[in-house]
Formats: sequence, C-alpha cells, structure tokens
Amino acid sequence: MPTLTPDIVPGLIATGASARLDEDVAAKFSVGDAVEMKNINPVTHTRLPRYVRGKKGVVERDHGVFAFPDTGAHGLGHKAQHVYSVKFSFRELWGEDHAENMYLYIDMFDDYMKPAL
Amino acid sequence: MPHDHSHPHNKPLSDVELRVKALESVLTEKKLIDPEAIDLIVETYETKIGPRNGARVVAKAWTDPAYKARLLSDATAAISELGFSGVQGEDMVVVENTEAVHNIVVCTLCSCYPWPTLGLPPVWYKAAPYRAKVVKDPRGVLEEFGVSLPDETEIRIWDSNAELRYLVLPKRPDGTDDMSEAQLAEIVTRDAMIGTDVLAAH
Repeated sequence: MPTLTPDIVPGLIATGASARLDEDVAAKFSVGDAVEMKNINPVTHTRLPRYVRGKKGVVERDHGVFAFPDTGAHGLGHKAQHVYSVKFSFRELWGEDHAENMYLYIDMFDDYMKPAL
Repeated sequence: MPHDHSHPHNKPLSDVELRVKALESVLTEKKLIDPEAIDLIVETYETKIGPRNGARVVAKAWTDPAYKARLLSDATAAISELGFSGVQGEDMVVVENTEAVHNIVVCTLCSCYPWPTLGLPPVWYKAAPYRAKVVKDPRGVLEEFGVSLPDETEIRIWDSNAELRYLVLPKRPDGTDDMSEAQLAEIVTRDAMIGTDVLAAH
C-alpha cells in the first residue's frame, strides 16, 4: 500500500471514491414496486438495519448500480447490484399510533429485498 | 497536529486522544501515512470545507430556478458546478423542504454526512440519541432543537446508511425577497441543511 503523503491529499479530497459501479446489472425491482425487506440477521457487516427487517415499503427511486458493502467489507468482492430509495410509513415501522403523514426513506440493496405479497 | 490550542498540559489525555495517538503512531511506523498528510486533511476540513459551501448551493437554488431544477434532478453534478465535490459527496441527493413537506437527514449506521457541502458532522449528529430518536420521534427531536411544525406538515426522514449522501434544501424564509444571493447564503444554517432547523422569517 502506498504511503498517504501531503501531495496526494488535495486530489484525494476533491475526487473521493464513489462506490457506484459502471457495470451492467439488471435491476430486480422497479419504481413503484411494493417490497418487503428480508428478515435476516447477519453477524457480519450490513447496511440493512434491524428496524426495517421484515417491513414493507415502496421503491421510490433507483439510484443505479453500487458495490455491496456486506461482501466488500469482508474482502468478498463488489457483488454489484442496484440500490433503491425505499419509502416506509411510520405506521409500518413503529405502529398504528403514529401519524399518517410521516415517512422514512432508506437506501436498500437488491439483496435485502423481496416482492411484498 | 498544530499546537495552537489551549488545553492544560497537566491533565492526562482522554481515552479517545490516546487511541488516536496510538493509531497515528502505528500507521506512521508501518509507512501507511505521513503525519503531515493527516495535518493537512484536518486543516482542510477546519478552514476550507464546511457548511458555508452548502449555504452557497442553497442560495443559488433559491435565486436560480434552472439551477434548482438541476440540483433536484442530479444533485452531484449541480453541486460540483459550484466546485464542491469529492470525499463523502460522490453521490448526492438533495431533498426540498416546502410548506407541505419537511425533510430530516440521519445516518442510523454511523455518521454518513455530505462532507463537501457541510464539512464534518457535529457531535450530536454522530451520537446514538439523535440517530435512534429521529427515525422514531422526529417531532420530539425537532422540539429539542426549538422547532415546532404544524401537524399537517408531512415529515420525511432520510436514513443515509448506504452510499448516497443527502442535503436538505431549506424553505426560503419569508421577507427575503430583496436579498441578494450572497446575502441569502449568510442566513442559511448548517442545521437547516440537515433538517433540524427551520429558517426564521426576516
């Protein structure tokens, strides 16, 4: 690994490193689809928080193809897949005593979702 | 680190300070970092990159409808038009606050935050109480920030725990019609761009 030296800092900060991948991967879901987050409990790195596991939402936006952190974090490859903004109502997440006009949006990977029945 | 701060030197270092020093020593010994590179990164985020960048984006969106349209459809490109891009801003989304909708950004995983436009996150943004409460009781969190919204206002929470980073485009306050873009940039607060503040009328 090269040493992080002062001369490369400005370029590094200005460019960053996007996790977006230029790979042609088919989307498993479309905007408007009703989806359910899988109820899984990985003991390794994941971006699927407990509070949405098993919950139903709607695909609001397809952000495109990204590297999958759940595998990347453990040196198991990018496993390129689509990431979507998924909308959940507070009533679905937290119960019927919550107001109807409150929503949570979170970015979910293909591997976290299945069609909602 | 530059030594121009004013802590008393007879106090023992905190656990976090010790851990940071130990990490820096190990990384330096293994030739993974040059400590001067770390100083430069710290200095950059202390003096060059911060919420004034985001305020310029907001002021431009308020005064230039075509720019606002670009910002809401392709935020990364529109923000980079003003020269702001890079680490933790590679893939941006901007969400707009209106009379009917109020947006708030959080990262329940850790502290994901749009660095090029807002700088480094405030301590409360990284703290568990904010992250745990705002996804469940956002009106309670807003109250702690002194903000109260009508019940009819739709609330949208954006949990940015994947690779997208979010910036809130605050609602332009009443009474600012005569202000220039530069003057408008002055009144935009960091918290308004996170969604925990509503800008007061002028």
